[in-house]
Amino acid sequence: MIEFLSVSKKYSADALALSDVTLNIARGELVYLAGPSGAGKSTLMKMVAAIERPTSGRVTVNGQDIGKLKKAGVPFLRRNLGLIFQHQRLLNDRNLLANVMLPLIVTGAPKAQAAERARAALDKVGLLDRARALPMELSGGEQQRVAIARAIVNRPQIILADEPTANLDRAAADKVIDALHAFHSAGVTCVISSHDEQILDSGARVIRLEHGHVMDGIGGGV
Amino acid sequence: MNIWFRQHRFAFVAALATVRKSPGSFLFNVLVVAVALALPFAGVTLLDNVRPLSEQLAVDPEISLFMKPGVAREDAQALAPQLQQLLAGNHAKINFVPREQALDALKEKSGLDDVIATLGDNPLPDSYVMKLDGFAATSTAEAARVDLLADHMRQLPGVDSVQVDSAWVKRLAALLGVLRLALLLLALTLGVVVIAVVFNTVRLQVLTQREEIAVSKLLGATDNFIHRPFYYTGALLGVCAGAVALGAVALALRPLNTAVGEFARLYASDFQLTALPALGIVGLLAISAALGLVGAMLSVQRHLARLK
Repeated sequence: MIEFLSVSKKYSADALALSDVTLNIARGELVYLAGPSGAGKSTLMKMVAAIERPTSGRVTVNGQDIGKLKKAGVPFLRRNLGLIFQHQRLLNDRNLLANVMLPLIVTGAPKAQAAERARAALDKVGLLDRARALPMELSGGEQQRVAIARAIVNRPQIILADEPTANLDRAAADKVIDALHAFHSAGVTCVISSHDEQILDSGARVIRLEHGHVMDGIGGGV
Repeated sequence: MNIWFRQHRFAFVAALATVRKSPGSFLFNVLVVAVALALPFAGVTLLDNVRPLSEQLAVDPEISLFMKPGVAREDAQALAPQLQQLLAGNHAKINFVPREQALDALKEKSGLDDVIATLGDNPLPDSYVMKLDGFAATSTAEAARVDLLADHMRQLPGVDSVQVDSAWVKRLAALLGVLRLALLLLALTLGVVVIAVVFNTVRLQVLTQREEIAVSKLLGATDNFIHRPFYYTGALLGVCAGAVALGAVALALRPLNTAVGEFARLYASDFQLTALPALGIVGLLAISAALGLVGAMLSVQRHLARLK
């Protein structure tokens, strides 16, 4: 489903983010990307979402070559992805329901249908009763759960969670990870990056990155 | 309802929401753009009123030849062959106007029957009116040729005076041409001002909404989806400003018509300035919306490219 073949990424001549990375992530797999800050975890995720393009090598997602993907095709690739960011990136002037509806609205879905599905997504993360609240009224953990609801409302094939627990306390972090595990159990491919060793699930595959190199966990579920 | 229509409705609603968030700022921008539009709109209204008048006036040269008082009718009519000879090859229409007919026409046109009646004898002479077809109204060489013909006519026996009547019409036509050109240049200049104002307004909105834009792109929004609300905002700004400018011009016509009415009465005319017809109003509103749209498109292309 996700394939990296000898992928390197340079932001500048002396800033090598990824170096000759080769890995596969299979459909329905749960994968953790582990490693310290600056290891290349975020760059790897950005390539899957076509936010960054490889300097060399080939990245394919659902058979689509990211390096050759035209600009007009990027939005349609992203509609099959659920992106979760460290800082949630919720729109603070809109309530939770409107935030979660956004991925459906951008696809041109009818408003009533978008609202119904957004409510269902909020229900799955336990925040339906706060649907009319603004993001600023929620705790960091709750905001991250809203971000998860927004990521799954489009029923994506892949969830990419970049440091989803970085700013959360242990209890909140566990809730977020539990929610992601629930979606994985439902068949969604989940890629979760973290530098926090405590959240790495012992049963899941862990790909370790350091200074842009894959140190461990290349083969996995392929 | 198809996706295209739904997305346009969403964009329009988003543009209205932007206006609702900062109505004062939007209103201020509308006023600035309206001031820029009001002057060319007033010019268009004025030209639209004057155009029918100028079109009614003959631009082809017209030569009027007046006989001396006391010249016998037979002698006056005897000039016709000489005039035809002078004007040969000029596609001229020569009309002899007897003094009685001239007096009747004067009574009819001026409405001064009573005053004319007090004159007793008919003071008007027999005359000829000659229309020359096929002359270029703006050609200096042609005008000189008409003047030369008039000089020859003045040498004919019994002729008192000869007038070339088309000169002032030509001047009016030329003046209207200059006014049209000046209005076009003014409209182009102020059009650029409108585009600049909308450009800056949309630039500020893009900056204000950059997080929303970035998030929407990450969630799968196409460029069109992101651009459309800004386009609607620009067009909305243009059309609102156009409406305000047209309203201001319509209001200004009232006091202006008082002065114009007094002036027109001196020429026994009931001429009044009127607002543009519905089609003209729709046309100017469409131009206003188009200017707003162009400003928004330029701004969005430039500033969203920078956000990337």
